[in-house]
Amino acid sequence: MLQINDVHAGYGNLKILRGVNMQVPTGGIVTLLGGNGTGKSTLLKAVSGLIPLMEGEVLFDGVSISKMKPHERMRLGLVQVTQAKEAYPAMTVEENLVLGAYTRRDRAGILADLERVYEFFPVLRERRKQLSGTLSGGEVQMLVIGRGLMAKPKMLMLDEPSAALAPKVVLEIFANINRIAKTGVTILVVEQNVRMALILAQYGYIIRDGVIMIEGEAKKLISDPAVKESFLGGSVANTAKALRN
Amino acid sequence: MGFDYNSLLAFIIFGVTIGVVYGIVALGISLIYSGLDIVHFAHGEMYMFGAFFGLVLAHNVGVPYPIALIGAMVLTALLGMAVERVFYRRLTRAGGGYTVAGMGMIICGFGMSVALVNVAYFIWGAEAEPFRANLDYIPRLSFPGDIEVPESYVLTAIISVALMAALHYFLRHTKTGLAVRAVAHNKDIAYLMGINVPLMISLIFGLACGLAAAAGVLIGPMQSVQVEMGYLMLMKAFAAAVVGGFGSLPGAILGGIMVGVFENLGAAYISPSHKDIYAFLLLILVLMFKPSGLLGVEAKVKA
Ligand SMILES: Nc1ncnc2c1ncn2[C@@H]1O[C@H](COP(=O)(O)OP(=O)(O)O)[C@@H](O)[C@H]1O
Ligand SMILES: [Mg+2]
Repeated sequence: MLQINDVHAGYGNLKILRGVNMQVPTGGIVTLLGGNGTGKSTLLKAVSGLIPLMEGEVLFDGVSISKMKPHERMRLGLVQVTQAKEAYPAMTVEENLVLGAYTRRDRAGILADLERVYEFFPVLRERRKQLSGTLSGGEVQMLVIGRGLMAKPKMLMLDEPSAALAPKVVLEIFANINRIAKTGVTILVVEQNVRMALILAQYGYIIRDGVIMIEGEAKKLISDPAVKESFLGGSVANTAKALRN
Repeated sequence: MGFDYNSLLAFIIFGVTIGVVYGIVALGISLIYSGLDIVHFAHGEMYMFGAFFGLVLAHNVGVPYPIALIGAMVLTALLGMAVERVFYRRLTRAGGGYTVAGMGMIICGFGMSVALVNVAYFIWGAEAEPFRANLDYIPRLSFPGDIEVPESYVLTAIISVALMAALHYFLRHTKTGLAVRAVAHNKDIAYLMGINVPLMISLIFGLACGLAAAAGVLIGPMQSVQVEMGYLMLMKAFAAAVVGGFGSLPGAILGGIMVGVFENLGAAYISPSHKDIYAFLLLILVLMFKPSGLLGVEAKVKA
């Protein structure tokens, strides 16, 4: 579904990505892992079009989108949720969600998806008339994921959905990401929470200093000593059990 | 000597009327600021061009005043959009996308202001031209105590309020208005939600310049139309925007009305020859006690 070929990108003259190759097949969950400042968010921005490519190419559904503006890429069904967890604080929860469906005209479909988002995240239904500026960090994360869903994405790119959240909230959010994927939305999730992400995903990439260092099936990466060494700790089994509930 | 409440009332009424005009210019300045993070220093010239466009339409083309008003708004909106597209957007690109790094925009705005004044000077010359508008169908308003409000003031009040109401409706109750607010708050996220951000920026600029043009056509029949008229309006509208809280749309209107009333009272009770400084006196007073302006939020923090 998404193919990233030898992508170089950065900010002004500063090159951050130095030839990234990645593939996200249709269906399922792929995760991109890496430490702070390794270029994960930069890659998502290059894919969604917020920063231009210096070299390389991005294909979505077989079509080159490298030259398209962000709103054009989004209209193809490639939707990014940014790391900043930014909802529009002066708009209500529901206004934020409806804004996610900005490009759609099918009123009935929008209402049905609103209902679907409220089923995924019941707390958003409770808070729907509340200004989103009053939500907790976890609730905002649910809101921005929900807002991404309202666009009816073919593929959803999530940037560190677990960042700065309590473990219990992270678990709830990851379980919902799993449910969203089951509805047929392809997911690329950027994470620093390596253990959780590798349990959630089927395939993983590990980025360092702007290039992919390791890639492979998530199951194998979890036990890969090279990955383990740099990232893993704690009990994988416990988390896996909790996630399946 | 007793205090004359009737004349006080009259000064206030005239002050409010002029004030709402400052308010709609300030509204444009605030709209551009909240949408693009730039202070548009050539906004006074949009007001001046609007006045001239209205004048040409009403006198030379001979259309009725309301049509001249709408025509001037449309033409000035197009002028503003062209200026933004051709000149400002290059600078914003250098600033990493949509916002402008540092002094570049300020210098560009001032330069644009000087350039536009000279273009206008070249086309229309330096003389002040009276704007004769046939407003007989507008009633004069009479207030108790022999206060008569002339047609042009009545019309100004009505149209300004109508424009504000229309803008409010647009921003709060239409889908495009929602998109404009989204762009104003965060351009990256607006982009990611499929909003055509460059188009919305053009729209914001067009709206703001159209409002300035309306102010020009409304003030025209009260004063006269002259190429240098933009400077003073910019200063007062700027004062109004700051007094009300920079970037706040209701604040712009409140600030405009306060500036209008304050300067009329100052001219009446202190000294008429210094009419134009009262706006700044008010500005200084407000900044001393509430630096963010009356309805302003604390300095805008960007992520
Ligand atoms: N807007 C920007 N301008 C310049 N440099 C940036 C910008 N955003 C991020 N960077 C730099 O790019 C590098 C990669 O950042 P990022 O992609 O955000 O990392 P992460 O993997 O944590 O998401 C970092 O060194 C960061 O300092
Ligand atoms: Mg990041």
